[in-house]
Amino acid sequence: MRWNALDVPVHDSQRVYRQLLSVMAEPGTFVEVGGTPQPPSGAAIGAACWATLLTLCDLDTGVWLAPELNTAGLGEALTFHTGAPQVGTPEEADFAVVTPATLEEAAPAFQEGSETYPDRSTTLLVVLDRLDTAGPWHLSGPGIPGVRRLDVGRGEALMKRLATNRARFPCGLDAILTCGTRLSAVPRSTRITRSASEEVDACMSP
Amino acid sequence: MYVAVKGGEQAIANAHRWLADRRRGPRQTPELEVAQVDGQLRLAVSRVMAEGSLYDPELAALAIKQASGDMVEAVFLLRAYRTTLPRLAETLPLDTAAMRIERRISATYKDIPGGQVLGPTYDYTHRLLDFLQLANGEVEAPATADAVLESCPQVLELLDAEGLIEREEDDGAEPYDITRDPPDFPVDRATRLQMLARGDEGYLLALGYSTQRGYGRNHPFAGEIRLGMVEVEIAVEESEAPLCIGEIEISECQMINQFGGSRDAAPQFTRGYGLAFGHNERKTMAMALVDRALRAEELGETAAGPAQQAEFVLAHADSVEAAGFVSHLKLPHYVDFQSELELLRRLRREHATRCAASSDSGAGVDTDIDATTSVDQAQEQQA
Amino acid sequence: MSRSAATASGYNFAYLDEQTKRMIRRGLLKAVAIPGYQVPFGGREMPMPYGWGTGGMQLTASVLGQDDVLKVIDQGADDTTNAVSIRAFFERVAGVATTTATAEADVIQTRHRIPEQPLRRGQLLVFQVPIPEPLRFIEPSEEETRLMHALEEYGVMHVKLYEDIARHGHIATTYAYPVKVDGRYVTDPSPIPKFDNPKLHMAEGLMLFGAGREKRLYAIPPYTRVESLDFEDHPFEVQQWEAPCEICGARDTFLDEVITDDRGGRMFVCSDTDYCQSRVEEVA
Repeated sequence: MRWNALDVPVHDSQRVYRQLLSVMAEPGTFVEVGGTPQPPSGAAIGAACWATLLTLCDLDTGVWLAPELNTAGLGEALTFHTGAPQVGTPEEADFAVVTPATLEEAAPAFQEGSETYPDRSTTLLVVLDRLDTAGPWHLSGPGIPGVRRLDVGRGEALMKRLATNRARFPCGLDAILTCGTRLSAVPRSTRITRSASEEVDACMSP
Repeated sequence: MYVAVKGGEQAIANAHRWLADRRRGPRQTPELEVAQVDGQLRLAVSRVMAEGSLYDPELAALAIKQASGDMVEAVFLLRAYRTTLPRLAETLPLDTAAMRIERRISATYKDIPGGQVLGPTYDYTHRLLDFLQLANGEVEAPATADAVLESCPQVLELLDAEGLIEREEDDGAEPYDITRDPPDFPVDRATRLQMLARGDEGYLLALGYSTQRGYGRNHPFAGEIRLGMVEVEIAVEESEAPLCIGEIEISECQMINQFGGSRDAAPQFTRGYGLAFGHNERKTMAMALVDRALRAEELGETAAGPAQQAEFVLAHADSVEAAGFVSHLKLPHYVDFQSELELLRRLRREHATRCAASSDSGAGVDTDIDATTSVDQAQEQQA
Repeated sequence: MSRSAATASGYNFAYLDEQTKRMIRRGLLKAVAIPGYQVPFGGREMPMPYGWGTGGMQLTASVLGQDDVLKVIDQGADDTTNAVSIRAFFERVAGVATTTATAEADVIQTRHRIPEQPLRRGQLLVFQVPIPEPLRFIEPSEEETRLMHALEEYGVMHVKLYEDIARHGHIATTYAYPVKVDGRYVTDPSPIPKFDNPKLHMAEGLMLFGAGREKRLYAIPPYTRVESLDFEDHPFEVQQWEAPCEICGARDTFLDEVITDDRGGRMFVCSDTDYCQSRVEEVA
């Protein structure tokens, strides 16, 4: 079981970063990461999530891993490759690696920033089993001409949590969405509504 | 026919060549060696190291040579180089009490344990130009003491034993690092001292001076000024004892100032603190005055003088920032200037129209002008 | 387009070390997520003076890749000294290809102008910002202005603009004209002429702003509402010129006034030299 680093860290991390910047700037669009290492078998996260961690984390970023995702030695590998300390509680985290399930019921409390420093907030790195367009979630706001649609599979808890961002703006949580090699993002500036007509489709999707 | 000015690249290259020529100066005199600057302009080197936040006499000397003696430019060169250096380790706090003393004076006691040591100072020189130096006269070696100085206790420790002066204790908190993170006003004293330590000497001198003249007066006494070598240590995981990685020259000034205290706390002397790389006495004294002035709020004083306005003092102390922003006025601004011209011409047209109208009608000046209408009028006139 | 042979040895790709780049990159993601909000960042000394574009350069250095094509302009022109100097810097430390053609560029660093040709999707426009705080000249204290942004207390800005109207009959701000981004943050668009403000609204490219000396960065994402502050009875309006550009004949561009002799002779030409030249070539 091996977690590999980026082949050419300077250039590979720049490329992944520009993809991250692009999806953050245009919420609900997708990119596929390529040429980045595949997590080992038994890993609960995909290549896009691993590449994002390698690109953004270092000694200065506290990372919180949802317990169910910390498999195949992810925690040790992350600290080994990036030097990022793992924090014990979600509210200390600069980055939190989670699944929608992590956010259900007794949802952990992440840092949402303050009115004066809204940037001092946790960025969620969400691991999804489905990430596609044409879903029931309608996104609008900065970065979106009109409306974009998003399908996050069984991500109800995630989207509900992100939908509360608007009421607390400029405080809030920004989410980087990952599924296999696919990347997308929903920053706190995005307005999220659920379309009733598509609700049926969503429930029927596997 | 107008053609846009081209050839900026060539012009810049030519300017650099000319500059290099001017720096070198007349070829019949030998080129200045970096070692000469380091060895013979040591106070300049100290200042550049202090404000450049990098202890490296050789590179500071190089910066002074490269900058043709422009200290602000030399500080900038060193600072820009510093940014590119990796951080290998963090040192333990310097122990200035264990300094190998070259100079150490106190204005608050006639004599002090360890003695007053004048050291290499200009203080009592008569400021008469020494024309012999035009001819490079020989200089005799200094008289040295037979025995090495014993370690000298810090003068303020003497007062401390009696409880007459406020104690300063390490609360163990990780200090904010102004070289990594932007200052987040209001800032704590550790952060303020970092900013003052790399602040421009002339600026701090003027501010410190202003407190002496009454703009935030705080009755200072030079409790102790010391200069000498201190060991720099780092903690190493494998060994319990810290590891000494070398010695640096440091100047330190501790000012004693008038009392703090309240109904609950007994009155005590308060402190202002100054520290700088190298031999930088004036800088550390000014820094200590300003440090004390900036403690006004903490000590329950009314902050009325300019030197007591923390955000104002700190945000403008850095010569690299200040020189950069002032010098940027030399960059082209013709687009914004054009915008101003366009507005000014329009306002003047409207003004002329109004004056003409009021003198025609013979009425007083119309003070309630409908601006939208006047714009329309102006545009009609243009058309 | 031109490509330089090799990068300067002894320095990392694009000058900044990777940890600094990551710090700025993380800051930029927050900036994009909170449009118009000024994110404090640990700005580093650059080998150029503060005030000469160090903020923009740090942002460019953090986003730039080896396959990117870079364009640098100052006052709309590629050949002004500052633009030449910054372009040469990135050719030297990143070895990237550079261009003067707006359409060919992936990353454009600018001082004081937005190109006349609209940004295309995926393009990055990096602004050099001297004073990022739009409220600074009304309230000098950072502590206070931070609170004003937090409480969305922007009344003072309207009062200031209205005082202009009372005195001059017009809003006297002609450049660095404040905008409101996505209905929330009042933001300084950098000292672009107000002529360029409409280009900020619903642009297709991503706009990043870097203030090196003040250590702040912020962003306006694509497709974002950007309104220039104004009043119902004094709506925002941009500069107009009576005559077209004397070189390319454009009537919808920002014109520079060029003094041609010492007897009051002058002409007006496009400040965006690439736009002007490409129009001349089209006609030819």
